[in-house]
Amino acid sequence: MTEKNIIRSSLAGESCIHIKHSSGLDIYICEMPGFSSVEAVFGTKYGSVNNIFRTEGDSSFTEVPEGIAHYLEHKLFENEDCGAFELYAKTGASGNAFTTFDRTCYLFSCTRNYQENLKILLELVQNPYFTQENVDKERGIIGQEIKMTNDRPEWRVFFNMLRCMYHSHPVKIDIAGTEESIAKITPELLYKCYDSFYNLNNMVLSVAGNVEANKVLEVCDKYLKPCRDKKLEKVFPDELEEIVQPEIREQQPVGTDIFHLGYKCRPAAGSEKLKKTVAASMAASLLTDASSEMYQKLLGEGVINSSFTSEVFCGDGYFSVIFSGESPEADKIRQAMTAEIGRINSEGLNEKDFQRIKKSAYGVLIRELNNVEATAHIMLNSHLEGILPYDTIQALSEVTRIETEDFIKTELRPDRLVLSVIEGKAVQQ
Amino acid sequence: MIYSRKELTEGTGFSCSADSKFKTVSVIVRFIVPLSADAAANALAMTMLGTVSSRFPTVAKMNEELSSLYGMSLGTFIRKRGDVQILGLSASCICSRFTIDGEDTEGSMAELLRDCLFSPSAENGEFESTVFEICRREILDRIDSELNDKRSYAAARLSETAFCGEPSASSSCGTREQAESVTPKAAYEAYRKLLETAPVEIYVCAPEGDPGFEKMFRESFSALDRSCTAPVFRSKSPLKPETKEVSEEMDVRQCRMFMCFKSDSDDIFALKMLSHILGGTPVSKLFVNVRERLSLCYYCSSGFEPSKNTLVIDSGVDRDKLEKAREEIMNQISAVINGDITDEEVENVFLMLENRFATVGDTPSSVGSWYFERFCEGSSSSPEEQLMDYRKVTKARIVNAAQSLGLDCVYTMLSREADQ
Repeated sequence: MTEKNIIRSSLAGESCIHIKHSSGLDIYICEMPGFSSVEAVFGTKYGSVNNIFRTEGDSSFTEVPEGIAHYLEHKLFENEDCGAFELYAKTGASGNAFTTFDRTCYLFSCTRNYQENLKILLELVQNPYFTQENVDKERGIIGQEIKMTNDRPEWRVFFNMLRCMYHSHPVKIDIAGTEESIAKITPELLYKCYDSFYNLNNMVLSVAGNVEANKVLEVCDKYLKPCRDKKLEKVFPDELEEIVQPEIREQQPVGTDIFHLGYKCRPAAGSEKLKKTVAASMAASLLTDASSEMYQKLLGEGVINSSFTSEVFCGDGYFSVIFSGESPEADKIRQAMTAEIGRINSEGLNEKDFQRIKKSAYGVLIRELNNVEATAHIMLNSHLEGILPYDTIQALSEVTRIETEDFIKTELRPDRLVLSVIEGKAVQQ
Repeated sequence: MIYSRKELTEGTGFSCSADSKFKTVSVIVRFIVPLSADAAANALAMTMLGTVSSRFPTVAKMNEELSSLYGMSLGTFIRKRGDVQILGLSASCICSRFTIDGEDTEGSMAELLRDCLFSPSAENGEFESTVFEICRREILDRIDSELNDKRSYAAARLSETAFCGEPSASSSCGTREQAESVTPKAAYEAYRKLLETAPVEIYVCAPEGDPGFEKMFRESFSALDRSCTAPVFRSKSPLKPETKEVSEEMDVRQCRMFMCFKSDSDDIFALKMLSHILGGTPVSKLFVNVRERLSLCYYCSSGFEPSKNTLVIDSGVDRDKLEKAREEIMNQISAVINGDITDEEVENVFLMLENRFATVGDTPSSVGSWYFERFCEGSSSSPEEQLMDYRKVTKARIVNAAQSLGLDCVYTMLSREADQ
């Protein structure tokens, strides 16, 4: 039976609809009057970190090669007759797909024929077609993609940092895998992963923009194939709280040195994860606040520039706070960060600064709702993180200075700090 | 959405779009000047304006103001469009009705923009030196960091080669040497020159229409003695007698090949259609044949630049496939020259454009960008009107456009042999 709920946010003045569809799929729809476009995202909670799993009836866990979730995304983007691009080209829609650490998403944006496009999306994702020939053909293109991402210094600096942080957790592995690991991928393995993770009970559909909920549901009712929940179990190797090593440097042809300075924190799940993420975001924003003394000193000395920023990076079994940017002297940033956290731990945060940063964060969340694409992704991401679409705004309004101080004290520890630097290398003209 | 444009004073255009679906107010001010040896001084002046003002003279104070106003954004952008430098100041805030304490965010943003543009942090005819040095480092880092993004770096090297001897060969912020030599006084003089002589285009997008920016800008610009020269947005670049080949080895795993074709045709819409059919969509000839059918590249796309009448095809390729990829790219161009264009290929482009144009009104900045682009092209066509212009393009015109192409130069970034 299909169940429908309206989710509202009084803070943002917004609402959306959540449907638990009889097929097993969770569906979120946000009707956005005045907008012309429609964004639809069909996602599964399956990413590069999910390499060990089993479902009901499996006697043991299956371990698959690194990069297989991403490979599967490439292959699912075409059916027996043609690719998704060709199908969407006939309607004028723009289709795409992507894989992250913990999710794989297929999407389209369009301004008309959204029901037809939704049909294409649902059929595409529910009808895998893998043969030895088409799997082998994709290896060259993915190999090129791996090479291209390895040439991106911001990608290298990030993964180098993750490798220094995590002993065993697969978050340290490149999303696309390696040329060696993808060589082991077969049609049989792809079907095994598909059958396990592309179960509608493990998936979510999010549609926002110029749509009517009933018309979206009409298509869903017609094209979703009911799934029995196969009780998917995902496991991760045990991960120590300690980091692997505190520093890594690599030389690459870059014009300005870049760095990632990351604190390995203890992972969290469910509602604890939301609270922790919001406190971590507040802590990170306060530590990169351009009005702070630390920022002013580093900027004045030419150690940082306006690229200095922060992010909270978390998922199943991993959680970190990362500071990044361009700097010729990343060591000095590490020293300053350690000293500033020590100062906050003894003196506490300034309440006025805390409220100012909170207002700023609130403004950013409101702005996101200005946008069809962002709205669709907010609904999808919230579901995959086990929260409701406007829970983050609510949690932000509730977070306190004390909670943020606690997070800084307990999680931003100098012995859990990793510095990754990509240093410039002369270019031969 | 309601859109209108008017002239406030000589060379000062003011456009506004009102759309009740938005929760924010956005303003973009663009100064348009010829790309010249003053590029670095202009870039530094504009960066100063987007960093501090007389009322908020330090980065700390400005940031405090912005974050107090719910993370109001204030930024500078510096771009090159053919032989023209575009220097922009942009700001955006959430509407007052979404504030928790009822603050007047729109009014504060108007005051802040007036302050930044007309009352900068300067004394005795020069910018304040401490912040100026921070801005100089920003520009220098921006110039240096071009190498960090290999695709941008390769595009810049191609520009240098294709437009050698023309203003467009330079980068949007000038050279490192130029940026190093600009003094706070010279940058301030560049700022005054921008105010007094540069054509300006202002764009405001707000849910209920202009909340008072027109009045502020009219008063402020009227107080100046402005005398502007219309910018030259289109200047065709001559085709070299022989294709110039430039390559350099680098520690990269994937080679980048950029090919620049020049045309003497004035049929802009046919050239744009040609570019889309060749490599503008995931069902284009280059994507389907070079990437999908032959697996020669991870990407292979094309883009037409009307300001210089050039079509650039760029690709990411393995070193041992470079020759084959280039051959196949040329084969696809030959196919168009020989009239191998299907109705489906043409229709796919129309559908893609129709979809793209219909979304112009969906973000506050895209309406402004749309009409600014039209302003540069000397037109004021709406998305619907421009779609009609595309619809009029026949296959014969696309073939003619393809026939007008000449390969001017090729830049290749080579991965080291040892990596192969």
